[in-house]
Amino acid sequence: MNQLKKMAFAKRRTMFLLVLFACLTGAVIIIQAYYFVKIVDLVFLKAASFDAIELPLGILLAVLFARVIFMYAGRRTGIKLASKVKREVRETLFVKYARNPIQTSLSGQTGRKVSTVMDAVDEIDSYFSSYIPQIIQTAIVPVVILLAVFTQPAYSGLLMLITAPFVPIFMVIIGIKTQKKAENQMEKMAAFSGHFLDILQGLTTLKLFGRARQQTEAIKKSSSDFRDATMEVLKVAFLSSLTLEFISTLSIGLIAFELCIRLVVFKNISFFSAFFILILAPDFYLSLKDLGSAFHSGRGSMGAVQKIADELAQEEQSISWGTVHLPKGSPPPAIEIQGVKFTYDEGDFSLKDLNVSILPFEKTAIVGPNGSGKTTLLHIIAGLLEPTEGLIQMNKRRRSEYEEKSWFTQISYISQNPYLFSGTIAENIRIGGDLGASMEEVEKAAEKAGLSGMIQSLERGIDTAIGEAGRGLSGGEKQRVALARAFLKRPSLILFDEPTTGLDLYTEQILQASMSELSKNSTVITVAHRLYTIQDADQILFLKNGRLVAAGKHKELIETVTEYRNMVFAQQGAGTE
Amino acid sequence: MKDLLLVVRLVVIEKKDILYTILFGFLAGIVAISLFASSGYLISKAALAPPLYTMTVMLALLKLCSILRALSRYAERFFSHRATFAILGNLRVSFFEKLEPLASGILQKYRSGDLLSRIVGDVESLQNFFLRVFYPPIVFVLVFLSTIVFTSFYSVYVALSLLAGMILTGFIVPILFALRQRHIEQGIQSERGELSTEVTEFLYGFRDLKIYRKLEERERRLLELSDLYIREQERKEGLANFSQTLNTLIANCVSWAIVALGAYQVVTGKLDGLYLAMLVMISLNVFEYSIPLAAFPVHFEDSRRAAARLFSVVGKDATMKLEPDSEIYNLDQDAISIDINKVTFSFSDHTRPILNQVSLTLPAGSKTAIVGPSGSGKSTLLQLLMKMQIADHGRILLNGISVDRIQEENIWKSMNVVLQENHFFYGTIKENLLIARENATDEELEAALTKVQLDGFTLDQAVFEKGENLSGGEKQKLAIARTLLKGSRLWLLDEPTSSMDALTEQNMYRHLFNQAKNDTLVLISHRLTGLEQMDQIIVMDQGMVVESGSFTELMEKRGYFYGLKQIEKSVLF
Repeated sequence: MNQLKKMAFAKRRTMFLLVLFACLTGAVIIIQAYYFVKIVDLVFLKAASFDAIELPLGILLAVLFARVIFMYAGRRTGIKLASKVKREVRETLFVKYARNPIQTSLSGQTGRKVSTVMDAVDEIDSYFSSYIPQIIQTAIVPVVILLAVFTQPAYSGLLMLITAPFVPIFMVIIGIKTQKKAENQMEKMAAFSGHFLDILQGLTTLKLFGRARQQTEAIKKSSSDFRDATMEVLKVAFLSSLTLEFISTLSIGLIAFELCIRLVVFKNISFFSAFFILILAPDFYLSLKDLGSAFHSGRGSMGAVQKIADELAQEEQSISWGTVHLPKGSPPPAIEIQGVKFTYDEGDFSLKDLNVSILPFEKTAIVGPNGSGKTTLLHIIAGLLEPTEGLIQMNKRRRSEYEEKSWFTQISYISQNPYLFSGTIAENIRIGGDLGASMEEVEKAAEKAGLSGMIQSLERGIDTAIGEAGRGLSGGEKQRVALARAFLKRPSLILFDEPTTGLDLYTEQILQASMSELSKNSTVITVAHRLYTIQDADQILFLKNGRLVAAGKHKELIETVTEYRNMVFAQQGAGTE
Repeated sequence: MKDLLLVVRLVVIEKKDILYTILFGFLAGIVAISLFASSGYLISKAALAPPLYTMTVMLALLKLCSILRALSRYAERFFSHRATFAILGNLRVSFFEKLEPLASGILQKYRSGDLLSRIVGDVESLQNFFLRVFYPPIVFVLVFLSTIVFTSFYSVYVALSLLAGMILTGFIVPILFALRQRHIEQGIQSERGELSTEVTEFLYGFRDLKIYRKLEERERRLLELSDLYIREQERKEGLANFSQTLNTLIANCVSWAIVALGAYQVVTGKLDGLYLAMLVMISLNVFEYSIPLAAFPVHFEDSRRAAARLFSVVGKDATMKLEPDSEIYNLDQDAISIDINKVTFSFSDHTRPILNQVSLTLPAGSKTAIVGPSGSGKSTLLQLLMKMQIADHGRILLNGISVDRIQEENIWKSMNVVLQENHFFYGTIKENLLIARENATDEELEAALTKVQLDGFTLDQAVFEKGENLSGGEKQKLAIARTLLKGSRLWLLDEPTSSMDALTEQNMYRHLFNQAKNDTLVLISHRLTGLEQMDQIIVMDQGMVVESGSFTELMEKRGYFYGLKQIEKSVLF
């Protein structure tokens, strides 16, 4: 909240401009009123000729133009301010998201984050484009008017001074009373449209059970119930603006009354002064009332402002990197994991005290039931998560000593759902290697990954655009694109996170061939589901509930670890039953 | 525009509230202007030192005007909002009534939720139609016309100036900007869409982007897109600002013209100077009623777009109706036989057929399992059976009658369906179960819950929207409980137990098969266990039937099914 306010007030030039335009607007209102009155006074009471009012008419026209220009400029400044702030907020959010470690980006809150970047940022617009400029206007314009009124020989200024505070006071009093209620009602409103959405989404189900037609009545009833409930709240809200209206019109009436009495009974004020004050009075109360509506739109943004502030306040532990350079094409590192622990911020899962060493070119399989921490371990090895405790060493150096960029050129990570970006197949493959990779190299990588057949069948070949989120490709084809990336990159460490799950027999066989081809020159760590992957592994890490139960070759484990043996046989037994 | 007329028709249902709104809106406007006019007149009169009693009357009138104005405003607000909510209800009902009979294929298409929530949003944004588009211009015109008529008694020139002001600020400027607005709005929507897509990709592809060192590049791209989007928004607001400014400028010019003309007429003796202040006060305040019209284009455009989108959903897609000349058959209450004859089907936006020349025969009372990798067309086949999609070629016969000749309602009535995704409504467990059998007693409902091993649940336990507070397994159990209650004779089950463990699954199947003893049953299964008891297993791949036969037959054949079985064995978790 304060952070965003600071953002606005840090723009000193903009703030200065807003204040300037407010002062000018105030001045122009006074001058405008002065000349309107002067002209009427001249022709009405002084019986002046038309020549005498030509100059005042000219000035009045100029002043009216000036008022419009200041109004325009003031609003424009507000809009610019909002744009600047929105840009900054988005930039801050992007930087924050980019720095996030993997855990937060995977915690299934993508929807919320997108809505923060898009909707919440859009919603703060009115806070900066109308609320802040209005606050400044209200702080300045009434004061200027009041000063002008005080120059006239009447108590009207005093009347204004006394009645003015009632407007904000009542606003606050009523605001406090209705706010809570109104907010509750807003929630109900959201729930109400949620209910309608619920019915639409469940329409298939309703139809299957032959219940769809009856819903019309239900919608009708809930609509009218909702209307009645809302009107109760709105009545109060309208009553509040009724009160404000009363205050301002009665005050204006009071001023008119005072002026008349002075004019008629005491005869101690001129028509000029009286009319001048009478023209200014509505402007005075109008700008006070405007504050109310500005508050209203400001409040509308509060939720969004809060949402962004919360998002920015969330702390994340970043991953530390060093400066040791790893040249491209270096041999695979020896990996040493000592006493590594990891705990997520949310939930009670943790990895406990892991000790593992992986030699260069070894094939390691990580096995274990769902939720045993397989993917978390893979993320830690990849440098996507920082262990809460313990040590990871690559070639006897801590991972955090390496340069981030050169570390990531060494690894490939292929998951169940490789992400394809909007762009051509070639662009999607190229993202794996240097951007400078030749088309020939890209095509070769595609071929090795078993993509050539599909590419040839496409009209535009390797330059075919694959749409948003890689739609239009089957699961197997996506995996092949991911493999082609790895072929182009030639990493020394490959991490497979169950890439063949959910694929059909035939596709899986092809992928397996590509995967073993890819694995020839690298260390490979696979989260494994399948017996044959495990049987081939040099080392199996058997995880359960975040603990390393056993490590070794398949045969050794079968012989020595009862739990492992039971698990393997139980699964096979269940299959043949 | 045609769509908006449909909306207007729904709006005018609330005749009484609309009439009140306009009446009080007009009253508030006219009283406010009288208030300013009379105060201007009062001051002038006072300057001429009139008898005190005229002053008293005038002042009393002034007070009365103040109160009347405030009260009218209140009434206007009250009735306009009440009308708005009533209209919202009408819109919902009418839209639902249009959507309900549509073929389920359309619902399937829009199930993604995104479109449905857009529909809800569009319906909601149409509530502004009455509040911001429909009645303010009416009130504006009424107030202005009355003011013009009133002023014309004093000065025709003043009246004509006001008329010109009314036409300019009320019609010309808003229409001019409405046209440009439309253009800009398209730009905003497309920039917004692009940014939103890129942000989503950025987050979904985070891991790959991070490893491939593309985060900074994407970040820059995002910022560029955000700048473009903000620029478009700024253009829109700039335009709105410009239009408002232009409106104010015109209003000011008219006020100025009135002063100049009035002064001239006073000087030349054509107008009593007493009324000049009054006319000035009127001109300074009447334009307050044209201010809301500056925002009119935006709201008009929003409403138009929302209406167009809404009615395109319900309008364009032809419903899959019975052919007019075909006789209507009903399914009777016996077990149903299914004949599928060379059925081919593809979604309109895919070229590859989802189902390719599929032929199957499922005798009444038989139990059939369909297995195969994802994307092999299993679920689509089930949708064709449910007449939620219509085959491109080939025929589907239920009890020897083509599904084309049976009404959807009738087909669904005879089916017990568990889909992969089953919808649960906001409410209670009981309400969600009663959908299946309206008159079921609590005991029957509880018995059904016990059968699906949900005896831990109470009937009045809350269910959130889409069953968000239920686990995948619980949802599937609840869906099965619903079919158990419904008790129709054809069972179509699409992976009904995929989120349950093996033991629970066995239990579920036991209950299902027990109740479906004499019924026809089709089960799509992701697991190959427990298929020994099926009469027939159909293996599908890439839209075609690769193998079929009983469990033992297929195992002995050592073909595709055997291969699948081997894989299943090798899967450890």
